Amino acid sequence: MNRDTITVAALWAVLTVIGEALVIGIGLFPAPLAEEAKIVDEAFEHLVILGVPVFTFVVSVLVYAVIRFRRRGAELEDGPPVRTHGKWVAFWFAWTTALTVAVIIHPGVTGLRSLTASHGEDPDLLVKVTGQRWLWTFEYPEQNVTTINELVIPVDKLVRFEVTAPDRDVLHSFWIPAFRIKIDAVPGLVTHTYARATRVGAFEEDVDYRVQCAELCGLAHGKMAATLSVVSQEEFEQWAKGRARVEAR
Amino acid sequence: MGEGARQGRGTVAMAAIFPVLRGLLFAGVGLGIGAGLAVLFTNLTGRPAKEPVIALGYVFALIGWLLGVGMWDSWAKEWFGGKAHIQHGGGVGRYFRFTTDHKVIGIQYLVTMVVLFLLAGIGALVMRVELADAGQNLLSPGDYNTAMSLHGIIMIAVAVATIIGGFANFTLPIMIGANDVAFPRINALSYWIVPPVAVLLVLTPVFGGFDNGWTGYPPLSVVNAPGALLFLLAFLTFGLSSILGGINFVATVITLRAPGMTWSRLPIFVWAVFAAALISFIATQWVAYALLMVILQRIFGMPFFNPPGGNAVMYEHIFWFYSHPAVYIMILPAFGIFLEILSHFSRKPLFAYKWVVRAFLLIVVMSFVVWAHHLFTSGMNSRIHLPFMVLTELISIPTGVVFLSALGTIWRGRMWLTTPMLFALAMVFNFLIGGLTGLFLADVPTDIQLQDTYFVVAHFHYTIMGGEIFAIMAAIYYWFPKITGRMYNETLGRVHFVGMTLFYNVTSIAMFVVGTAGMNRRVADYPADLSGTNLFITVASFLLAASFLPFVYNMVASWTRGPKAAANPWGARTLEWQTSSPPPLENFEHPPVIDDPYGYGSPARQPVAGPAYGAAPGSGD
Ligand code: HEM
Ligand SMILES: [Cu+2]
Ligand SMILES: [Cu+2]
Repeated sequence: MNRDTITVAALWAVLTVIGEALVIGIGLFPAPLAEEAKIVDEAFEHLVILGVPVFTFVVSVLVYAVIRFRRRGAELEDGPPVRTHGKWVAFWFAWTTALTVAVIIHPGVTGLRSLTASHGEDPDLLVKVTGQRWLWTFEYPEQNVTTINELVIPVDKLVRFEVTAPDRDVLHSFWIPAFRIKIDAVPGLVTHTYARATRVGAFEEDVDYRVQCAELCGLAHGKMAATLSVVSQEEFEQWAKGRARVEAR
Repeated sequence: MGEGARQGRGTVAMAAIFPVLRGLLFAGVGLGIGAGLAVLFTNLTGRPAKEPVIALGYVFALIGWLLGVGMWDSWAKEWFGGKAHIQHGGGVGRYFRFTTDHKVIGIQYLVTMVVLFLLAGIGALVMRVELADAGQNLLSPGDYNTAMSLHGIIMIAVAVATIIGGFANFTLPIMIGANDVAFPRINALSYWIVPPVAVLLVLTPVFGGFDNGWTGYPPLSVVNAPGALLFLLAFLTFGLSSILGGINFVATVITLRAPGMTWSRLPIFVWAVFAAALISFIATQWVAYALLMVILQRIFGMPFFNPPGGNAVMYEHIFWFYSHPAVYIMILPAFGIFLEILSHFSRKPLFAYKWVVRAFLLIVVMSFVVWAHHLFTSGMNSRIHLPFMVLTELISIPTGVVFLSALGTIWRGRMWLTTPMLFALAMVFNFLIGGLTGLFLADVPTDIQLQDTYFVVAHFHYTIMGGEIFAIMAAIYYWFPKITGRMYNETLGRVHFVGMTLFYNVTSIAMFVVGTAGMNRRVADYPADLSGTNLFITVASFLLAASFLPFVYNMVASWTRGPKAAANPWGARTLEWQTSSPPPLENFEHPPVIDDPYGYGSPARQPVAGPAYGAAPGSGD
């Protein structure tokens, strides 16, 4: 270890501490309103925390080198003819591999596991979602209700969404920003996703309670959104009854 | 100026662009024949339709254009027992001709690509004006989508073709001590295919525009305006050019290295282009299949991507089987450029050269087995999520080697901070952000939220613009004296560098912020609470655009009036600096001395030929 290496290591340590202090709890996402959202946010935060030391390492070396190793004289002068350095190469492979494997295991494999953990369970509610140019239709088969651009679900219940698009339509994507769930609506296929909302709320209070089309579908793609309300189980049942009666009439 | 002189100049200009005029004429004739045949067929079958007319008309027009612009005289005549003749010669006229000098073709590509880059940049500003505030309707949604799609596909073309078509064409043969590329006429062909691509794309608004983005996912790209057919034909044609270029550079590196230029002495830029060219000729045909299938569904109603019987997820797989490797067609040569520059301007050997070469080759292989990370939300069987997540994340390891080499090279160097060196250093920083944010998209849980949001937009701008375009800027300044024989203005270069680096980063970091806050991509409007950050992005993007003004002025003024450049203003050791600036036809007056390109500081090295440090800008600091 010589002076340059030690200085860079110190710089790295300082920048890393500052960086971590800045990013922890930075909260870039909308409020997490479903269990799925917590898994995603946790994975995101974990990746940010792991990314900071990598970022500060490269930046430290870069900044230090530019200041310390810039040429001072007028003449071109050669640096030392160092071609490689076995120990540094080995060190480099060791930490990049270790970090990659760490990221693969967590949040990779673990996140994937917890995200799909609920998928085997019996859902409390089934909603059939159809995306077409340019509106969303929600069908509640058990409740005998169909709505357009209005999604209402009960809080704390596991909801299964079965998503599709009409045969002659184009791709859409069913995305609820507040829940962090997204799955494409593909003509001819039925795709599915799950969510368990953790808090009551509605689009009127928070725009992230919305179903947004997230796959380019032409002219009104940006405006292809539906409102979302998360309500208590009783409210949901009342709402469904009211709607079902209207339908039946 | 006398009347005669003016007339004389006019005739010279006409003579110079005569091949182009003839190409246009032949294209017109071809268009007439093709379109006429299609009209005839469709009416005979009782189903008059517009699109077969466009498609067949275009195919014949393309053939006419190529023959007229010079393929007939310099190539096709041979096939019919005639004698082909390739015209070289000097003057501006050679840039408008079907000529086979790789240096001329390199300049043709570079100028074309810079012009397209600036055009597509204006498209970005148009979008940013619309996005400056929520709820605006300055552009119709259709026009917004067309602007967005045109910006995307033109930039992708620029990113694919500028380094291989432009810089590799100009410098690679010289760097390996060759007189030209392996297939000079195919090389010329690959360039002259490009102008029709540009013309098609520019014409799309006349045909109703196209709103399917550069990815062209069906069924949208099947049911939208005829502008989309022009887009599909353009992409397909461009792919042909890319394949031809790929084959050419693979063959050139394998067969034309000068005696003594062993594989282990190849400059890293040559290795990088070799790796990218491999991908280019293996992968591009896949996107051609995908595009062709969409065209067939449009014209003949073949049900590839709609039920019953077909679905669109299939297209996504085939498309990304090309388009993921394609991002490495863009970035590998950029790695080559910045490593090259870091070594020559630190005056140190490239650190861990052999590991970098291995990493490049490993990346070539791995780039083919990660495509489905673009499909995590497509509804494909979720059992495939895990392997594609793991494979994608493993690419970080060979990518990390590139950073090891960059940092190891500048460490204890004698860094000469000229404009190209500054751009190369900035690329290390930018690509670091691009690479790290890629991890968030490779991780399935986070990608499910981030896919198709501005986070993705920011990520690929960091890799393509922050990474590759910065490398291209570094390369433009680095090779400017070699290509033009003149020196650029260093002060203007630095002004460009500071403005572009600062405003680029500010613009794109803010895109990460709106992306995580829930703004999806490819939309002309967004929730009102994001309007503050969006206004910020718009202002920053205009400042970024302004930072290109000194660049354009510098290029034009220095090319016409700049001071004459020395053969080797940087004192660099690769072969292109051992011949005059610009190099003569066939590149070398004397056979070059072939030695280690990175032999800085070692006593055993051969001195580099040529007046080493003359007329270099800012050599005092
Ligand atoms: C560190 C390595 C990289 C990783 C891990 C990575 C990962 C990803 C992933 C997973 C996506 C899909 C995002 C989504 O839509 O869900 C993506 C998108 C994209 N990446 Fe990268 N990437 C890397 C490097 C690059 C490079 C080098 C380039 C280009 C030079 C690039 C260009 C793009 C482009 C153009 C897209 C957007 C495609 C679209 O239109 O949807 N990436 N990247
Ligand atoms: Cu949609
Ligand atoms: Cu990819």
